[in-house]
Amino acid sequence: MIELKNIEKYYANKGVKSYILRHVTASIKQGEFVSIMGPSGAGKSTLLNILGMLEEPTYGQYEFMGEDITSLNERKRIELYRNHIGFVFQAYHLIDEMTVAENIEAPLLYKKVSGAERKSRVADVLDRFNMVAKKDLFPNQLSGGQQQLVGIARALVAQPSVILADEPTGNLQSAQALQIMDLFKKLNQEEGITIIQVTHSEVNAGYGSRILHLLDGVIKEDVTVEQTV
Amino acid sequence: MFRINLKIALRNLLKHKTASLINISGLAIGLAASLMLLLYVQYQWSYDKQFGNTENTYHLMVNFYGADKSITGTTPQASNVLPAVLKEERPEIEHISRVLWASRRLVASGQSSFKVEGRYADPDLLRIFKFNYMSGNPDKAFDDPNSIVLTESTAKRLFGSADVLNRTVRFENQANLKVTAVIEDLPPNFTYGFECLTPWKLYENLNGWPAEPNWGNYSYFTLLTLKNGTDHNAFNQKIKNTIARHTGTKNLDAAPFVYPLEKYHLYGHFTNGIADGGQIEQVRIFIILALGILAIACINFMNLSTARSQKRAKEVGIRKTIGASRGSLVMQFLLESFILTIVSVLIAIVLVELFLPAFNGLLNTKLEISYASPANWMGFIALITLTGLTAGSYPAFFLSSFNPVQALKKAVALKNNFGLSLRQTLVVIQFGFAIVLIVSTLILYQQLQYLKNRPLGYDTNALVEMPHEGNLYLKFDLFKDRLLNSGAVSAVTQSSGSIAFQNSNSTGFEWKGMAQADKKVSFDLIQTTHDFLKTMNIRLIAGRDFTKGRASDSSGIMLNETAVKRMGIKDPLGQLVFFNGKQRPVTGVFADVLWDEPTRNQHPMAIVFNAENSDVITMRLNNSRGIQENLDQITKITKEMNPDFPVELKFVDTLVAEKVEHEQMLSVMSNLFAGLCIFVSCLGLFGLSAFSAEQRTKEIGVRKVLGASVTGIITLLSVSFVKTVMIAMLLAMPVGYLVMDNWLMQFDYRIVIGPVVFIITGLSSILIALLTVSLQAYRAARTNPVDALKYE
Repeated sequence: MIELKNIEKYYANKGVKSYILRHVTASIKQGEFVSIMGPSGAGKSTLLNILGMLEEPTYGQYEFMGEDITSLNERKRIELYRNHIGFVFQAYHLIDEMTVAENIEAPLLYKKVSGAERKSRVADVLDRFNMVAKKDLFPNQLSGGQQQLVGIARALVAQPSVILADEPTGNLQSAQALQIMDLFKKLNQEEGITIIQVTHSEVNAGYGSRILHLLDGVIKEDVTVEQTV
Repeated sequence: MFRINLKIALRNLLKHKTASLINISGLAIGLAASLMLLLYVQYQWSYDKQFGNTENTYHLMVNFYGADKSITGTTPQASNVLPAVLKEERPEIEHISRVLWASRRLVASGQSSFKVEGRYADPDLLRIFKFNYMSGNPDKAFDDPNSIVLTESTAKRLFGSADVLNRTVRFENQANLKVTAVIEDLPPNFTYGFECLTPWKLYENLNGWPAEPNWGNYSYFTLLTLKNGTDHNAFNQKIKNTIARHTGTKNLDAAPFVYPLEKYHLYGHFTNGIADGGQIEQVRIFIILALGILAIACINFMNLSTARSQKRAKEVGIRKTIGASRGSLVMQFLLESFILTIVSVLIAIVLVELFLPAFNGLLNTKLEISYASPANWMGFIALITLTGLTAGSYPAFFLSSFNPVQALKKAVALKNNFGLSLRQTLVVIQFGFAIVLIVSTLILYQQLQYLKNRPLGYDTNALVEMPHEGNLYLKFDLFKDRLLNSGAVSAVTQSSGSIAFQNSNSTGFEWKGMAQADKKVSFDLIQTTHDFLKTMNIRLIAGRDFTKGRASDSSGIMLNETAVKRMGIKDPLGQLVFFNGKQRPVTGVFADVLWDEPTRNQHPMAIVFNAENSDVITMRLNNSRGIQENLDQITKITKEMNPDFPVELKFVDTLVAEKVEHEQMLSVMSNLFAGLCIFVSCLGLFGLSAFSAEQRTKEIGVRKVLGASVTGIITLLSVSFVKTVMIAMLLAMPVGYLVMDNWLMQFDYRIVIGPVVFIITGLSSILIALLTVSLQAYRAARTNPVDALKYE
């Protein structure tokens, strides 16, 4: 599903190139649950952003579902992106002026889904996440864990094939964090959604099937996780 | 999508109340101000265009040529014979009509008797302008010389009804005229407006002398229409020699030409035969003001948007990661600015309706918003679109271009190459405009005071005048005696014109030792009899006033100091000056009197004894009695002696004050709009400082923890704003200087722009800016640092 070949990313500052990613080559298949780990500054988030088409690599080739992303134009890329990728952030990044229901509905609006279907899908997701009672609240009226649930609901509502999560539990208490990770695992196993997460936590990584260890922009290790949980 | 965007835009408005308030009130004030100015501009634009066929309607003008065949002057007035001659010789002319200047004419019917603005015109005038007739036939209205056309309100005042066809009006107490047509009241922006119109033939019948063909008297306005498709430039070539041909002069010294009437008002000023502006300059100033104020209000909007851009940037980032395209974001931001604009426009319209009466009073106009006119609606829509786009352009087109990753990391830098942020640049523009206006206002005020304080050379205190008319002509001496005996006045005189403003001048004075060129020297001319200097309280330098009982005075002449200097006479008393067919001895020399506009230089002035030419009676009230008592007594005596005319007493000081009306109006306008500009700019600055303080809460918190004082923090927060205002000052002051220096050039009598204006402007704008900003800074500085830091 995802093929990275020789991805490089650097910023040139006053003639000095500072590398973020070097010769990253990896292949991720449909249905995998991948954790990207590594110390701060290793390039984890940049890699995730490149996977999510939010950033472009300086060099290298990136194929997503058989399409060469680097040669696609803006419009096609947004199209591909809208249909297949859902993002979850550490800081939730909900829109403050929108209610829970509206936040969840937003991606469908951009996907130009019809009104009736939007309603039923939002209702469906709210129901699944047990948030029907909170649908008219604003993000600042929710706890962090609840906000992240909305964030995930928002990522899921467009029925993506991949969820990219950037430290999804970084701002949460451990109990809430466990809940979120359980959710991810369920989504991965029951619905076959590919999940790629960036994390610092060994525990979180344990939920996945594979870990990519990143150090100074280079993949040092690529290990398959023995399912312990 | 639209609905949810609308909902969110409204939520945003309500959530950021201060910002919304600043945006809406600033925009509404700016829009209201520019709407009013644009209404005035529209009023000026539609001058003389109300009565159809504008493209074929022309004003007859005459160019005068000097000895070197260059054009030395242009007049809109022509002789009384030229129109008829042109009509006979040139088939291109469809209709042509002379029009007399407007004067107050007495109309009466039964008990009701009053004066209205009246004009005389040829029958063709009713064919040139398609007035709106309530009754009567324009083609036949002037068939009989004893007819009169009334406007609706004149008819109602006279008869109590507009349905007055064929009724009789007593005109000037001289003739009985039949009402042959009633028209709707004429708009104020019509050059040849009137309240009653009478046939030219009547003018000739009542006065005699205007009927004499006279090629040399350029006194009469003439309007004409050319047949469809006539090229007026070619036409002008054909009529160029008409006057020379008929007067038999070899040299071309006066050439008639036609000028489009629709341009006459706005572009009616000619220099060396070339039209070089006129009212259009004022219209341009108003357009600049209108756009400037609107721009200032839009800048507020843009600035507050950029100030909030960090927050909005995050939203842009989120929206982009959930699949928003740039187009949809542009639409969203534009929608927000359009909502604000529409709300502001509604408030602005309310403001305009509230303040229009005062504005009309100031400009002496009758502006109104006509909601029925589709053009106005188009205008509103255009204004909303323009404002909405300008105001919303920055967030819509700049913010939407953010890369989502950077936007979410808050790493958006908003600097340009000059080290000034866009926001600061906009504030510089805003304050620059305001500062130019303050400088202009101060200089205008100084010039106005300077004009007002210019010594008049006579005493306006308790000086009143009335028209010399009716029985007062025959019984002037008796009238004068009765007034003096009543004790109401201390002195009375008659004269050819009012002392308050220049109304007559003449060339052709001859004296011993004059040069040939001196024949063309123009003298201000007052014709009077006895007691003129005494009544006016004009200082006599040598000789005496015309006095009763001295027979020789009846051919005498008095000169002012400037005249004596200009004529170069050493010992003027007793010298003979030839004027109007007579040798006249100089009987007195008097100190200069300010008769022309206070903006002009002193002219030579002559006061000539002539009992035959008198229009005004001037009298000085007796100071030892009450003013009202004096006026009542004068009114009573006048009424007794001249019962057919209303008594119209005017105080000379009011008339003199009217001479600086235009400058006074400009001064009030500039005060008003400079004030508005400052206010709206400060609103923006206030909003900006609030955001700046909000953005820097963490920095302020850290600094306070490290021991910074409240004053230190206020200084920290205020300094950058004050710096911005100072840059604006440096840029704007030279502009203000140049603009006003140029403006002052039109006056002979003017102030010299000194440094005081700039010092006052500088200090006051810094002070205002500082006050605006420091309020927010103080609030920020007083907060507990723990509150500021715990959110990070």
